[in-house]
Amino acid sequence: LNVDPKNPAILPSSAFFTNAQRSLSNTLTSSNVNLNIFRLIVQHWQETQYPEESQYDLATREINDNTWNALYRDVIRDLREAKALIPGDVKDADVQKNRLAVTEVMEVYTWYYLVTTYGNIPYSEALDIEKPFPKYDDAKTIYNDLLTRLDAAIGNIKTGAGGFGSADLIYNGDMTKWKKFANSFKVKMAMTIADDDAAKAKTLVEAAVASGVFTSNADNATLVYQNVQPNTNPIWVDLVNSGRDDFVAASTFIDSLLAHNDPRIDNFFTADPTGGYSGAEPGVQSAYEPNSHVNPNITKPEFPGLLLDYAETELFLAEAAQRGFNVGGTAVSHYNAGVTASIEYWGGTAAEAAAYLAQPGVAYNPANWKKSIGVQKWIALYNRGWDAWIEWRRLDYPQLEPAHDALSDMPVRFPYPVNEQNVNRVNFEAAAEAIGGDDVATKLWWDKF
Amino acid sequence: VSGRVTDAQGKAVPFASVTVKGTSVGVAADENGNFTIEAAPNSTLVFSAAGYQAAEVNIKNQSTVSASLSAQSSLNEVVVTALGIRRTRNQTPYAAQQVTGEEVSKTRNANFVQNLSGKVAGLDIRQTNTMGGSTNVIIRGTKSITGNNQALFVVDGVPYSNSNTNTANQRTGRGGYDYGNAAADINPDDIESVTVLKGAAASALYGSQGSNGVILITTKKNARGLGITVNSGVTVGKVDKSTFATYQKQYGAGYGKFYGPDEDKWFNEADVNGDGVVDLVAPFHEDASYGAKFDPNLMVYQWDAFDPTSPYFGKARPWVAAANDPTTFFQTPVSSNQSVFIDGGSDRGSFKLGYTRNDDKGILPNSKISKNLLNFGGTYNITPKLTAGATINFTNINGLGRYGTGYDDKNLMTNFRQWWEVNVDVQEQKDAYFRNRDNTTWNWKSANRLIANFWDNPYFSRYENYESDSRNRYFGVANLNFKPVEWLNIMGRASHDGYNELQEERQAVGSVTTSSYSRFNNAFSETNFDLIANMDKNITTDINFKALLGGTLNKRHNESIRAVTNGGLIVPRVYALSNSLNTPNAPVEFDGRREVHSLYAGATFTWREMITLDGTIRRDQSSTLPKDNNTYYYPSVSAGFTFSKLLPSATWLSYGKLRANYARVGNDAPVYSVYDSYVGIAPFGGNPQGSVAGTKNNPNLMPELTGSFEAGVEMAFLKNRIGFDMSYYRSKTDDLITPVILSTATGYNSKFLNAGSIENKGIEVSVNGTPVKTSDFSWNINVNWSKNRNKVLELFEGAENLVLADFQAGVTLNASLGQPYGTIRGSNYVYKNGEKVVSQTSGRYVLSPTSNEVIGNANPDWVGGINNSFRYKNLSLSFLVDTKQGGDIFSLDMYYGMGTGLYPETVALNDLGNPSRNTIAEGGGIILPGVDADGKPNAKRRSNSEGTLGYRQPTAGFVYDASYIKLREAIISYSLPKSLVSKLNPFKGIDLSLIGRNLWIIDKHIPYADPEETISSGNLQGYQSGAYPTTRTFTFNAKFRF
Repeated sequence: LNVDPKNPAILPSSAFFTNAQRSLSNTLTSSNVNLNIFRLIVQHWQETQYPEESQYDLATREINDNTWNALYRDVIRDLREAKALIPGDVKDADVQKNRLAVTEVMEVYTWYYLVTTYGNIPYSEALDIEKPFPKYDDAKTIYNDLLTRLDAAIGNIKTGAGGFGSADLIYNGDMTKWKKFANSFKVKMAMTIADDDAAKAKTLVEAAVASGVFTSNADNATLVYQNVQPNTNPIWVDLVNSGRDDFVAASTFIDSLLAHNDPRIDNFFTADPTGGYSGAEPGVQSAYEPNSHVNPNITKPEFPGLLLDYAETELFLAEAAQRGFNVGGTAVSHYNAGVTASIEYWGGTAAEAAAYLAQPGVAYNPANWKKSIGVQKWIALYNRGWDAWIEWRRLDYPQLEPAHDALSDMPVRFPYPVNEQNVNRVNFEAAAEAIGGDDVATKLWWDKF
Repeated sequence: VSGRVTDAQGKAVPFASVTVKGTSVGVAADENGNFTIEAAPNSTLVFSAAGYQAAEVNIKNQSTVSASLSAQSSLNEVVVTALGIRRTRNQTPYAAQQVTGEEVSKTRNANFVQNLSGKVAGLDIRQTNTMGGSTNVIIRGTKSITGNNQALFVVDGVPYSNSNTNTANQRTGRGGYDYGNAAADINPDDIESVTVLKGAAASALYGSQGSNGVILITTKKNARGLGITVNSGVTVGKVDKSTFATYQKQYGAGYGKFYGPDEDKWFNEADVNGDGVVDLVAPFHEDASYGAKFDPNLMVYQWDAFDPTSPYFGKARPWVAAANDPTTFFQTPVSSNQSVFIDGGSDRGSFKLGYTRNDDKGILPNSKISKNLLNFGGTYNITPKLTAGATINFTNINGLGRYGTGYDDKNLMTNFRQWWEVNVDVQEQKDAYFRNRDNTTWNWKSANRLIANFWDNPYFSRYENYESDSRNRYFGVANLNFKPVEWLNIMGRASHDGYNELQEERQAVGSVTTSSYSRFNNAFSETNFDLIANMDKNITTDINFKALLGGTLNKRHNESIRAVTNGGLIVPRVYALSNSLNTPNAPVEFDGRREVHSLYAGATFTWREMITLDGTIRRDQSSTLPKDNNTYYYPSVSAGFTFSKLLPSATWLSYGKLRANYARVGNDAPVYSVYDSYVGIAPFGGNPQGSVAGTKNNPNLMPELTGSFEAGVEMAFLKNRIGFDMSYYRSKTDDLITPVILSTATGYNSKFLNAGSIENKGIEVSVNGTPVKTSDFSWNINVNWSKNRNKVLELFEGAENLVLADFQAGVTLNASLGQPYGTIRGSNYVYKNGEKVVSQTSGRYVLSPTSNEVIGNANPDWVGGINNSFRYKNLSLSFLVDTKQGGDIFSLDMYYGMGTGLYPETVALNDLGNPSRNTIAEGGGIILPGVDADGKPNAKRRSNSEGTLGYRQPTAGFVYDASYIKLREAIISYSLPKSLVSKLNPFKGIDLSLIGRNLWIIDKHIPYADPEETISSGNLQGYQSGAYPTTRTFTFNAKFRF
């Protein structure tokens, strides 16, 4: 009588893995003002009548809570469940090992966003129901542990054997691709801390490149959505299905794209009623119709979510080369490859890319490489606001002005969730003190400049 | 001596107590009013009964005596207590306040629960203003943190489900319909009396279901002879304007000066009429009134310029405030209530048959509820010792167009109170809808995109996006009473309460949200089998002994299925799952069963009707708890001391009693909170998806226990002309079964635990007085007052706060350690020396760094009611004033409405005497009262623009005192004189009455709203969003007795 007849007590491990992949992609891709407002912070988009989120109002909609919950509860918890069930589900030792490795890579990937967004977070005591009020761990310590875990997972991948098969919505069980993904992600994690620990970054990046990173857009980690809810792209839900006109292009971004005749502009946005492209000023209330809107291709229900791509990998390698790491090629060659990959990904041609790169304001400038790479990252990470935000904080380019009538400085981290303040107060307060104050302006350990 | 006790109309008064004056000899009459008592010739018999004034009759030498009692509404003599046990007042050692059936049915309100407001001390009734909406019924405060705190309804000894099926989204103000509570299925005309058992000692015999107090309903018993009563009433209503928005009439649509091609104008621009000159087009795609100042000389193309059927098609109109604002949207509600009640009986048995038909039309277009209530009951005396009885009640409720609630496009109050353009004429929207029968909205996206932006045409919304629902309910009881000897009664009873309901919700093609159809089928059933033995014997002349032994088997089953279309509808206006554009996802099913097995026993000793000692014990075994912990016991002990018996010489003292009791009541766990299960999610391309549930269940749960102590005194003076009943109580609930909110870094939202304790303590006073009493004129006063103090004493280890609900605007309702349950938290002002700090860069108030500051508390300080009734010959007048003092409410309506410029406050003149909406350069803007960071008076002037006076301020600014004083009801009734009626064969009596409800809010503090208005019944209170106005109602009723 006490067993719920309508909900299962047993499910295959792959069900949790699939769901976690989708939840993770949803969280990163979403443009919901309650969850993912990074496109607004980095001034890719701008809100129309209700510019509160563009002005960094995180509290009213509890955006910091929702982000935290989405990753801890909806992604990592399910990945942990998958891990616990895999040994009982899968007989073949190699497949079992591969599945565990992929799940581990996904988990490390998820932790990366938590630790780079909040700073110190519950880690060693997290995801343990016996520890309802977990303590917060030092962010740098967590990060180093994640790197160790990532290395171990890479070591466990056997490219000849199978993985999750079709339950793997990203690579359809292709372990060769997963190995490239893990290494490319290792490059990303290493470069994120390059300002804090250049030597460690160098070792890691060189090892990852030697092991094999993304070599073309075909390697990109994309999750192709379906055209029926609940498995649609969340942007379609937010922009089309909702019937709302909340977002237009931000003037900052449009102006920058126009300044160098960026061939991606028509892939990113629609033309305004005059046939040109225009954006609204960040933080200022604006009208929908006179401005450029998100390209309808991006708002299709099945438009893929993008988790990691070749373009950003090349831009990381450009920076690595610039910093003197031994990654093969030169900073310029990687830079050009990255920009070209981005233009091609968005539907442009190699010729368009070459013409674009030939312009004085675009061509790689070793004297101000942070600007060159920073601006190109900002453009290449269009529609991936969260990553654009992390790179903007690290590279400090483009130099964005805070939004009009902003409630605070431009956020360089998220404050801890209200739920943590209410429920886990003692640990929250200790963490807030340890990182130098629970404020949006508190810089995290890797954000040196 | 034998005889019969009747009322003034000659109908039997059941269960009257009959005593021989000056002795301790006493008996109770049976349910037909018949009694037999041993008495010496020439002695005097004293008759008393619930709701009647005591009468004395000298029997002289007669062997039959009849007594006629006249009705009285003061202190009652016989009280119906737990399990239908009748007790004289002397033998009732706990608080049990009784209200007569007449009292709850006379207003002809279809939901009798609302009629209890203000009539019982310690009972907190909170009602919503939606048509057929739910009513929150709390006795002596909140005892469980997240569990059910609603009082148990019991009809003739059998639990009667009062659940509501409102969704979690509805209850947290995110939209959805309020489908009301199931107790509204009870026919008010069938109610003989309502007893409110407040403390644990009184309700201990009901076990866990009764742990929140019990509303005990005794239905009408059958009298001798034949009685027919017909009621016919009609009610009309009118919206109380003090509870609805008042609009400013100076500025129209828009958010500011950023329209037109260069985003710097008040209006959009387009060459609408093709004359080559650019025209002004209103920013009708906005839903705010921070736009251009009205100017009748300014010609502007508005929404109707783009409606080809409109007389203003292609025409510009003067820029002025609407002639018909949303107050004209409300229509006059009309209800009709017709009922017939027939009862009859003889020596061998009795029957009753009642039918009530109720049709309510709401204040919103296209809204109505119809109710059919059918009651049948009969008893048959098989032998003098064996009686069989059965009742069956059938209820059928059909709702259409119930009001949307919360923050939702289907709640037009959200539209009218939070997001509106004051230049929009509601009646023109009405005409547009009826001309086109489509969504011709005031809120087009733009002149080129004639589709709804945020809001539908309000009439389209009412007529096309409507819900409909139906509920059929059967409540049947069959019992067999065996009375082998005079002092023993054995009862076997089987009862079944079951309902099936269907709720269908529609979103039409062309609405602002994706078209859809959803259906929710819900079936509930509760079955009880009882076997109860009762004994009542005078062991000696001085000692009366009552005992009870019984067992109950209780089974509850709730099964539901909710299905919804996916991605829209294919064919407009076809509301079927098969009309879904994409394949619908699997419906959500629920199947919950629970079973409780109970044994209970009780004993009561009464010495000389002066001292009563009472003890009960109950053992419950519940299926919802883990096997090892599923049995729990709860005892109660009570004592009563009728000290007035010691003071027979004190003639001024009519009655005096002290009482004290202690009880412990247990409660089981919600269904399925012991073992974990996963959540299955629609597959992704054939790959199954699953997730770990957000709440971790607990195989080690134990029952939660409430211990409560109560002491009281009852006194009456001057021949019962004035009396009072006062109680003090304290209850503490421990080991609360709660899904404790955890750090979500655990991967869970919450875990079921036995965590925390809550204390409630309070005082209840009810006073009755009859200041004037002559044969022609009387004046009665009845006062009820209660104060409850609630405190969260303990939460789960280390936890200091538990979030109960997370509302829009970042406002939460909480149980915080050391605070009363229902703490409202949100963002606060930052204070410097007691003054609000204003930012010297933005000119706005500085917000507290966190959103968990305590900004209010939903609990009232005290509640009370005063009822006055006057009678002059056949004319009577009564009126009830009830009040709730203290308690806070957060208004999302004001938070947004002030921010979007709807209210007159947003156009006030500033400190310079200029319109504050002028630009600062023009001498406008406002200086918010407060100080700068150093404590110097704020001198920073900022523009009065969107959000400034509303949602850009701390949420603390929109927390209001929820106190009110209301003239709840007033009734004038006239009984046609007997002399006249007797000529009008076949009538025995004709009463005419005029009833007013919710007539006047004498005092309140929340602007433009009813402080009592809430989103739903349940634990989540203290929050308003899209509040409905109060409806004043006036009823004319004629009652005929044959």
